[in-house]
Amino acid sequence: MSDVPLPVDENSLRIQELAYGLKVRHVMTTKIFAVTRQCTMREVQAIMKSNGVSGVPVVDGGHVLGMVSMHDILNAYELGHLQDGVAKHMSSDVQTLSDEVPLTFAISAFSRYPLRRFPVVNKKNELVGIVTPRNINLALIRELSRQLTEIEEQGTVSAREGESAVYHRVYRLDRYDFEHAGNASAALKRELKQRGISPKIIRRAAIASYELEINIVAHSHGGSFTHFIDGHRVRITANDFGPGISNVEKAMTEGFSTANDWIRSQGFGAGMGLPNAKRVSDEFEIQSGVEMGTMVKSIIYLKEESSHENQ
Amino acid sequence: MRMKEIVEELSAVPLCEPAGWEELGVGSVFASDLISDILVSEGEDQLLLTSLTSPQVVRTAALVGAVAIILVHRRQTPPGLEAAAREQGVPLFRSTITKFEACVRVARLRDSK
Repeated sequence: MSDVPLPVDENSLRIQELAYGLKVRHVMTTKIFAVTRQCTMREVQAIMKSNGVSGVPVVDGGHVLGMVSMHDILNAYELGHLQDGVAKHMSSDVQTLSDEVPLTFAISAFSRYPLRRFPVVNKKNELVGIVTPRNINLALIRELSRQLTEIEEQGTVSAREGESAVYHRVYRLDRYDFEHAGNASAALKRELKQRGISPKIIRRAAIASYELEINIVAHSHGGSFTHFIDGHRVRITANDFGPGISNVEKAMTEGFSTANDWIRSQGFGAGMGLPNAKRVSDEFEIQSGVEMGTMVKSIIYLKEESSHENQ
Repeated sequence: MRMKEIVEELSAVPLCEPAGWEELGVGSVFASDLISDILVSEGEDQLLLTSLTSPQVVRTAALVGAVAIILVHRRQTPPGLEAAAREQGVPLFRSTITKFEACVRVARLRDSK
Protein backbone atom coordinates (compact mmCIF):
# COMPACT_ATOMS: atom_id res chain seq x y z
CA MET A 1 0.00 0.00 0.00
CA SER A 2 2.87 2.41 0.50
CA ASP A 3 2.72 3.90 -2.97
CA VAL A 4 4.52 6.88 -1.60
CA PRO A 5 7.99 5.66 -0.71
CA LEU A 6 9.14 7.16 2.55
CA PRO A 7 12.70 8.34 2.46
CA VAL A 8 14.92 6.47 4.87
CA ASP A 9 17.58 8.96 5.89
CA GLU A 10 16.89 11.82 8.21
CA ASN A 11 17.80 14.59 5.78
CA SER A 12 15.24 13.61 3.20
CA LEU A 13 12.70 13.05 5.97
CA ARG A 14 13.28 16.64 7.00
CA ILE A 15 12.63 17.90 3.51
CA GLN A 16 9.54 15.78 3.31
CA GLU A 17 8.42 17.19 6.60
CA LEU A 18 8.27 20.62 5.01
CA ALA A 19 5.25 19.40 3.16
CA TYR A 20 3.36 18.85 6.38
CA GLY A 21 3.45 22.47 7.44
CA LEU A 22 1.93 23.58 4.15
CA LYS A 23 -1.68 23.34 3.11
CA VAL A 24 -2.91 22.89 -0.42
CA ARG A 25 -4.08 26.50 -0.54
CA HIS A 26 -0.50 27.70 0.10
CA VAL A 27 0.67 25.80 -2.94
CA MET A 28 -2.07 25.88 -5.55
CA THR A 29 -2.21 28.33 -8.39
CA THR A 30 -5.24 30.59 -8.24
CA LYS A 31 -4.82 31.58 -11.87
CA ILE A 32 -7.49 29.26 -13.24
CA PHE A 33 -8.65 28.94 -16.80
CA ALA A 34 -12.07 27.38 -16.41
CA VAL A 35 -14.86 27.01 -18.95
CA THR A 36 -18.59 26.44 -18.74
CA ARG A 37 -20.27 23.45 -20.32
CA GLN A 38 -21.49 25.63 -23.19
CA CYS A 39 -17.92 25.88 -24.51
CA THR A 40 -16.69 23.71 -27.35
CA MET A 41 -13.63 21.49 -27.34
CA ARG A 42 -12.02 23.81 -29.89
CA GLU A 43 -12.39 26.75 -27.51
CA VAL A 44 -10.77 24.73 -24.77
CA GLN A 45 -7.95 23.80 -27.08
CA ALA A 46 -7.39 27.50 -27.86
CA ILE A 47 -7.30 28.32 -24.14
CA MET A 48 -4.75 25.56 -23.55
CA LYS A 49 -2.58 26.74 -26.39
CA SER A 50 -2.55 30.43 -25.54
CA ASN A 51 -2.05 29.95 -21.79
CA GLY A 52 0.26 26.96 -21.77
CA VAL A 53 -2.01 24.79 -19.61
CA SER A 54 -2.72 21.11 -20.15
CA GLY A 55 -5.97 20.75 -18.24
CA VAL A 56 -9.05 22.93 -17.95
CA PRO A 57 -11.85 22.51 -15.43
CA VAL A 58 -15.46 22.76 -16.54
CA VAL A 59 -17.56 24.64 -14.00
CA ASP A 60 -21.11 25.61 -13.31
CA GLY A 61 -21.63 28.38 -10.78
CA GLY A 62 -18.22 27.72 -9.26
CA HIS A 63 -18.74 23.97 -8.90
CA VAL A 64 -16.50 21.61 -10.82
CA LEU A 65 -18.42 19.42 -13.28
CA GLY A 66 -15.47 17.90 -15.06
CA MET A 67 -11.97 18.27 -16.43
CA VAL A 68 -10.80 18.48 -20.00
CA SER A 69 -7.23 17.30 -20.47
CA MET A 70 -4.93 17.47 -23.49
CA HIS A 71 -5.70 13.80 -23.90
CA ASP A 72 -9.44 14.50 -24.23
CA ILE A 73 -8.67 17.17 -26.86
CA LEU A 74 -6.54 14.73 -28.87
CA ASN A 75 -9.27 12.09 -28.74
CA ALA A 76 -11.91 14.58 -29.90
CA TYR A 77 -9.56 15.77 -32.65
CA GLU A 78 -8.98 12.25 -33.92
CA LEU A 79 -12.70 11.69 -34.12
CA GLY A 80 -13.28 15.09 -35.71
CA HIS A 81 -15.37 16.21 -32.73
CA LEU A 82 -13.65 19.46 -31.85
CA GLN A 83 -16.87 21.40 -32.47
CA ASP A 84 -18.68 19.41 -29.78
CA GLY A 85 -19.54 20.90 -26.42
CA VAL A 86 -17.12 20.00 -23.63
CA ALA A 87 -19.74 18.06 -21.67
CA LYS A 88 -19.49 15.20 -24.15
CA HIS A 89 -15.73 14.74 -23.86
CA MET A 90 -14.73 15.86 -20.40
CA SER A 91 -13.93 13.42 -17.62
CA SER A 92 -16.78 13.94 -15.23
CA ASP A 93 -15.41 11.69 -12.53
CA VAL A 94 -13.32 14.43 -11.01
CA GLN A 95 -11.21 14.04 -7.92
CA THR A 96 -10.94 17.38 -6.14
CA LEU A 97 -8.81 18.39 -3.16
CA SER A 98 -9.92 20.63 -0.34
CA ASP A 99 -7.84 23.81 0.02
CA GLU A 100 -7.45 23.18 3.76
CA VAL A 101 -5.81 19.75 3.66
CA PRO A 102 -2.06 19.30 4.21
CA LEU A 103 0.12 19.25 1.14
CA THR A 104 1.01 15.64 1.88
CA PHE A 105 -2.54 14.65 0.95
CA ALA A 106 -1.99 16.16 -2.48
CA ILE A 107 1.31 14.28 -2.80
CA SER A 108 -0.49 11.05 -1.86
CA ALA A 109 -3.24 11.81 -4.35
CA PHE A 110 -0.74 12.28 -7.18
CA SER A 111 0.84 8.94 -6.45
CA ARG A 112 -2.55 7.26 -6.19
CA TYR A 113 -4.30 8.61 -9.27
CA PRO A 114 -2.84 8.80 -12.76
CA LEU A 115 -3.63 12.51 -12.93
CA ARG A 116 -1.43 15.52 -13.56
CA ARG A 117 -3.54 18.10 -11.77
CA PHE A 118 -6.28 18.41 -9.20
CA PRO A 119 -8.90 21.12 -8.99
CA VAL A 120 -8.90 22.61 -5.49
CA VAL A 121 -12.18 23.54 -3.83
CA ASN A 122 -13.11 25.53 -0.73
CA LYS A 123 -15.55 24.56 2.01
CA LYS A 124 -18.50 25.49 -0.20
CA ASN A 125 -17.14 23.14 -2.83
CA GLU A 126 -16.31 26.02 -5.15
CA LEU A 127 -13.29 25.92 -7.41
CA VAL A 128 -10.54 28.11 -5.96
CA GLY A 129 -7.37 26.78 -7.57
CA ILE A 130 -5.45 24.07 -9.36
CA VAL A 131 -2.57 22.09 -8.00
CA THR A 132 0.07 20.38 -10.14
CA PRO A 133 3.34 18.62 -9.29
CA ARG A 134 5.12 21.75 -10.51
CA ASN A 135 3.29 23.92 -7.94
CA ILE A 136 4.32 21.46 -5.27
CA ASN A 137 7.98 21.51 -6.26
CA LEU A 138 8.09 25.29 -6.33
CA ALA A 139 6.35 25.56 -2.98
CA LEU A 140 8.74 23.08 -1.37
CA ILE A 141 11.76 24.97 -2.65
CA ARG A 142 10.28 28.24 -1.40
CA GLU A 143 9.51 26.75 2.00
CA LEU A 144 12.93 25.14 2.24
CA SER A 145 14.68 28.42 1.69
CA ARG A 146 12.35 30.21 4.11
CA GLN A 147 13.07 27.66 6.84
CA LEU A 148 16.80 27.80 6.20
CA THR A 149 16.73 31.55 6.74
CA GLU A 150 14.71 31.04 9.88
CA ILE A 151 17.16 28.46 11.25
CA GLU A 152 20.08 30.76 10.53
CA GLU A 153 18.35 33.63 12.32
CA GLN A 154 17.44 31.44 15.28
CA GLY A 155 21.03 30.28 15.51
CA THR A 156 22.18 33.87 15.83
CA VAL A 157 19.56 34.69 18.45
CA SER A 158 20.34 31.58 20.55
CA ALA A 159 24.05 32.28 20.46
CA ARG A 160 23.42 35.85 21.57
CA GLU A 161 20.93 35.19 24.33
CA GLY A 162 22.35 31.89 25.48
CA GLU A 163 18.96 30.22 25.04
CA SER A 164 18.84 26.45 24.78
CA ALA A 165 19.25 25.31 21.23
CA VAL A 166 16.44 24.14 19.04
CA TYR A 167 15.92 20.36 19.15
CA HIS A 168 14.56 18.83 15.97
CA ARG A 169 14.30 15.12 15.31
CA VAL A 170 12.50 13.33 12.54
CA TYR A 171 11.83 9.60 12.67
CA ARG A 172 10.51 7.20 10.11
CA LEU A 173 8.02 4.75 11.59
CA ASP A 174 6.97 1.49 9.96
CA ARG A 175 3.70 -0.31 10.21
CA TYR A 176 3.53 -2.86 13.04
CA ASP A 177 7.11 -2.19 14.11
CA PHE A 178 6.30 -2.52 17.80
CA GLU A 179 9.89 -3.55 18.35
CA HIS A 180 11.06 0.07 18.00
CA ALA A 181 7.87 2.01 18.65
CA GLY A 182 8.26 4.17 21.72
CA ASN A 183 11.96 4.84 21.25
CA ALA A 184 11.37 8.29 19.80
CA SER A 185 9.17 9.23 22.76
CA ALA A 186 11.79 7.93 25.20
CA ALA A 187 14.38 10.15 23.48
CA LEU A 188 12.03 13.14 23.79
CA LYS A 189 11.61 12.49 27.48
CA ARG A 190 15.39 12.32 28.00
CA GLU A 191 15.89 15.58 26.12
CA LEU A 192 13.23 17.42 28.15
CA LYS A 193 14.70 16.08 31.38
CA GLN A 194 18.13 17.32 30.38
CA ARG A 195 16.65 20.74 29.77
CA GLY A 196 15.32 20.79 33.31
CA ILE A 197 11.68 20.99 32.25
CA SER A 198 9.17 20.31 35.06
CA PRO A 199 8.17 16.65 35.48
CA LYS A 200 4.48 17.47 34.96
CA ILE A 201 5.13 18.93 31.55
CA ILE A 202 7.53 16.13 30.60
CA ARG A 203 4.78 13.69 31.51
CA ARG A 204 2.25 15.38 29.28
CA ALA A 205 4.68 15.56 26.38
CA ALA A 206 5.56 11.89 26.88
CA ILE A 207 1.90 10.86 26.83
CA ALA A 208 1.08 12.82 23.67
CA SER A 209 4.24 11.66 21.94
CA TYR A 210 3.84 8.02 22.84
CA GLU A 211 0.17 7.81 21.86
CA LEU A 212 0.84 9.45 18.50
CA GLU A 213 3.93 7.32 17.88
CA ILE A 214 1.99 4.13 18.60
CA ASN A 215 -0.88 5.31 16.39
CA ILE A 216 1.36 5.46 13.33
CA VAL A 217 2.75 1.99 14.01
CA ALA A 218 -0.57 0.38 14.88
CA HIS A 219 -2.95 2.06 12.46
CA SER A 220 -1.16 3.52 9.45
CA HIS A 221 0.83 2.27 6.48
CA GLY A 222 3.80 4.04 8.04
CA GLY A 223 4.79 7.63 8.29
CA SER A 224 7.06 10.15 9.85
CA PHE A 225 7.19 11.48 13.34
CA THR A 226 8.74 14.73 14.43
CA HIS A 227 9.77 16.40 17.66
CA PHE A 228 10.58 20.05 17.77
CA ILE A 229 11.56 21.89 20.94
CA ASP A 230 12.49 25.54 21.28
CA GLY A 231 12.54 27.81 24.30
CA HIS A 232 8.76 27.88 24.56
CA ARG A 233 7.16 24.70 23.39
CA VAL A 234 7.34 21.08 22.35
CA ARG A 235 5.73 20.35 19.02
CA ILE A 236 4.95 16.75 18.13
CA THR A 237 3.78 15.95 14.63
CA ALA A 238 2.68 12.58 13.32
CA ASN A 239 2.15 12.24 9.60
CA ASP A 240 1.24 9.16 7.68
CA PHE A 241 0.26 8.25 4.16
CA GLY A 242 -2.92 6.44 4.90
CA PRO A 243 -5.33 4.77 5.11
CA GLY A 244 -6.81 7.88 6.74
CA ILE A 245 -9.59 8.15 9.29
CA SER A 246 -13.08 8.09 7.84
CA ASN A 247 -14.70 9.69 10.88
CA VAL A 248 -12.34 11.90 12.86
CA GLU A 249 -15.00 12.81 15.42
CA LYS A 250 -15.50 9.14 16.24
CA ALA A 251 -11.78 8.55 16.45
CA MET A 252 -11.57 11.35 19.01
CA THR A 253 -14.22 9.64 21.16
CA GLU A 254 -12.94 7.81 24.21
CA GLY A 255 -13.28 4.06 23.83
CA PHE A 256 -13.73 4.07 20.07
CA SER A 257 -11.13 1.90 18.39
CA THR A 258 -10.59 0.17 15.07
CA ALA A 259 -7.70 -1.90 16.40
CA ASN A 260 -7.61 -5.56 15.40
CA ASP A 261 -7.25 -8.44 17.86
CA TRP A 262 -3.52 -8.66 17.45
CA ILE A 263 -3.02 -4.98 18.31
CA ARG A 264 -5.34 -5.43 21.29
CA SER A 265 -3.34 -8.43 22.45
CA GLN A 266 -0.35 -6.09 22.65
CA GLY A 267 -2.21 -3.97 25.18
CA PHE A 268 -3.28 -1.29 22.69
CA GLY A 269 -6.59 -0.46 21.10
CA ALA A 270 -8.40 0.82 24.19
CA GLY A 271 -9.63 3.74 22.11
CA MET A 272 -7.83 6.23 24.33
CA GLY A 273 -4.92 7.19 22.10
CA LEU A 274 -6.17 10.33 20.40
CA PRO A 275 -8.35 11.46 23.34
CA ASN A 276 -5.37 11.10 25.70
CA ALA A 277 -3.08 12.97 23.34
CA LYS A 278 -5.59 15.79 22.99
CA ARG A 279 -6.25 16.03 26.72
CA VAL A 280 -2.61 16.64 27.59
CA SER A 281 -1.98 19.09 24.73
CA ASP A 282 -2.18 22.86 24.89
CA GLU A 283 -2.88 22.95 21.17
CA PHE A 284 -4.10 19.98 19.16
CA GLU A 285 -4.92 19.60 15.50
CA ILE A 286 -5.94 16.59 13.47
CA GLN A 287 -6.67 16.30 9.77
CA SER A 288 -7.36 13.18 7.85
CA GLY A 289 -8.30 12.16 4.35
CA VAL A 290 -9.34 8.64 3.46
CA GLU A 291 -6.69 7.05 1.23
CA MET A 292 -4.56 10.15 1.70
CA GLY A 293 -3.25 10.18 5.21
CA THR A 294 -3.53 11.67 8.62
CA MET A 295 -1.72 14.57 10.20
CA VAL A 296 -1.79 15.14 13.94
CA LYS A 297 -0.08 18.03 15.66
CA SER A 298 0.24 18.42 19.39
CA ILE A 299 1.82 21.42 21.08
CA ILE A 300 2.73 21.59 24.74
CA TYR A 301 3.93 24.82 26.31
CA LEU A 302 7.05 24.58 28.39
CA LYS A 303 6.15 27.37 30.78
CA GLU A 304 4.00 26.09 33.61
CA GLU A 305 1.90 29.24 34.10
CA SER A 306 0.77 29.43 30.50
CA SER A 307 0.01 25.78 30.17
CA HIS A 308 -2.80 23.34 30.42
CA GLU A 309 -5.49 23.95 33.01
CA ASN A 310 -6.62 20.36 33.41
CA GLN A 311 -3.34 19.12 34.75
CA MET B 1 6.56 -0.90 51.09
CA ARG B 2 9.97 -1.95 49.84
CA MET B 3 10.35 -3.72 46.52
CA LYS B 4 12.13 -6.58 48.27
CA GLU B 5 9.08 -7.34 50.44
CA ILE B 6 6.69 -7.27 47.50
CA VAL B 7 8.89 -9.50 45.36
CA GLU B 8 9.09 -12.02 48.21
CA GLU B 9 5.36 -11.84 48.84
CA LEU B 10 4.65 -12.69 45.18
CA SER B 11 7.45 -15.26 44.91
CA ALA B 12 8.60 -13.31 41.86
CA VAL B 13 11.64 -14.23 39.80
CA PRO B 14 13.97 -11.40 38.81
CA LEU B 15 14.46 -10.76 35.07
CA CYS B 16 16.27 -7.46 35.31
CA GLU B 17 17.86 -6.32 38.55
CA PRO B 18 19.47 -2.89 38.49
CA ALA B 19 21.67 -2.35 41.55
CA GLY B 20 19.77 -1.31 44.65
CA TRP B 21 16.30 -2.40 43.53
CA GLU B 22 15.64 -4.14 46.86
CA GLU B 23 15.49 -0.86 48.71
CA LEU B 24 13.27 0.98 46.23
CA GLY B 25 10.17 2.34 47.94
CA VAL B 26 6.74 1.68 46.43
CA GLY B 27 4.15 4.41 47.09
CA SER B 28 1.35 3.13 44.88
CA VAL B 29 0.45 0.15 42.76
CA PHE B 30 -1.23 0.11 39.36
CA ALA B 31 -2.55 -3.11 37.85
CA SER B 32 -3.54 -2.98 34.17
CA ASP B 33 -3.18 -4.66 30.82
CA LEU B 34 -3.96 -1.57 28.78
CA ILE B 35 -1.03 0.53 27.63
CA SER B 36 -3.10 3.71 27.40
CA ASP B 37 -4.26 3.33 31.00
CA ILE B 38 -0.72 2.69 32.21
CA LEU B 39 0.46 5.73 30.29
CA VAL B 40 -1.93 8.09 32.06
CA SER B 41 -1.72 6.48 35.51
CA GLU B 42 -0.57 9.11 37.98
CA GLY B 43 0.75 7.37 41.11
CA GLU B 44 3.95 8.43 42.83
CA ASP B 45 6.67 5.79 43.09
CA GLN B 46 4.39 3.44 41.30
CA LEU B 47 4.78 -0.31 40.87
CA LEU B 48 3.16 -1.79 37.78
CA LEU B 49 1.46 -5.19 37.85
CA THR B 50 0.61 -6.44 34.39
CA SER B 51 0.31 -9.57 32.32
CA LEU B 52 1.46 -7.80 29.15
CA THR B 53 4.85 -9.04 28.01
CA SER B 54 5.71 -6.88 24.99
CA PRO B 55 8.73 -4.58 25.14
CA GLN B 56 6.18 -1.76 24.91
CA VAL B 57 5.12 -2.34 28.47
CA VAL B 58 8.68 -1.63 29.64
CA ARG B 59 8.90 1.51 27.53
CA THR B 60 5.55 2.74 28.78
CA ALA B 61 6.54 2.09 32.39
CA ALA B 62 9.79 3.99 31.83
CA LEU B 63 7.91 6.91 30.26
CA VAL B 64 5.69 7.29 33.30
CA GLY B 65 8.63 6.77 35.66
CA ALA B 66 7.38 3.54 37.26
CA VAL B 67 9.59 2.15 40.03
CA ALA B 68 9.41 -1.43 38.78
CA ILE B 69 7.30 -3.93 36.83
CA ILE B 70 6.08 -7.31 38.01
CA LEU B 71 4.65 -9.51 35.28
CA VAL B 72 1.88 -11.56 36.80
CA HIS B 73 0.39 -14.91 35.82
CA ARG B 74 3.37 -15.59 33.59
CA ARG B 75 5.58 -18.65 33.46
CA GLN B 76 7.57 -17.46 30.51
CA THR B 77 8.44 -14.20 28.86
CA PRO B 78 9.36 -13.53 25.24
CA PRO B 79 12.94 -12.68 24.34
CA GLY B 80 13.55 -8.97 24.01
CA LEU B 81 11.64 -8.05 27.12
CA GLU B 82 14.60 -8.33 29.46
CA ALA B 83 16.82 -6.44 27.05
CA ALA B 84 14.24 -3.64 26.91
CA ALA B 85 14.17 -3.50 30.72
CA ARG B 86 17.96 -3.32 30.92
CA GLU B 87 18.02 -0.61 28.29
CA GLN B 88 15.51 1.46 30.24
CA GLY B 89 16.98 0.55 33.63
CA VAL B 90 13.61 -0.64 34.94
CA PRO B 91 13.59 -3.49 37.50
CA LEU B 92 11.55 -6.37 36.06
CA PHE B 93 10.16 -9.49 37.74
CA ARG B 94 7.92 -12.39 36.87
CA SER B 95 5.40 -14.15 39.07
CA THR B 96 3.12 -17.09 38.32
CA ILE B 97 0.45 -15.76 40.67
CA THR B 98 -2.69 -14.36 39.01
CA LYS B 99 -3.16 -10.64 38.77
CA PHE B 100 -6.08 -10.65 41.20
CA GLU B 101 -4.21 -12.73 43.77
CA ALA B 102 -1.12 -10.54 43.34
CA CYS B 103 -3.25 -7.44 44.00
CA VAL B 104 -4.76 -9.04 47.11
CA ARG B 105 -1.35 -9.94 48.50
CA VAL B 106 0.17 -6.53 47.84
CA ALA B 107 -2.87 -4.86 49.42
CA ARG B 108 -2.52 -7.01 52.54
CA LEU B 109 1.14 -6.14 52.75
CA ARG B 110 0.30 -2.45 52.43
CA ASP B 111 -2.41 -2.63 55.11
CA SER B 112 -0.09 -4.42 57.52
CA LYS B 113 2.16 -1.36 57.50
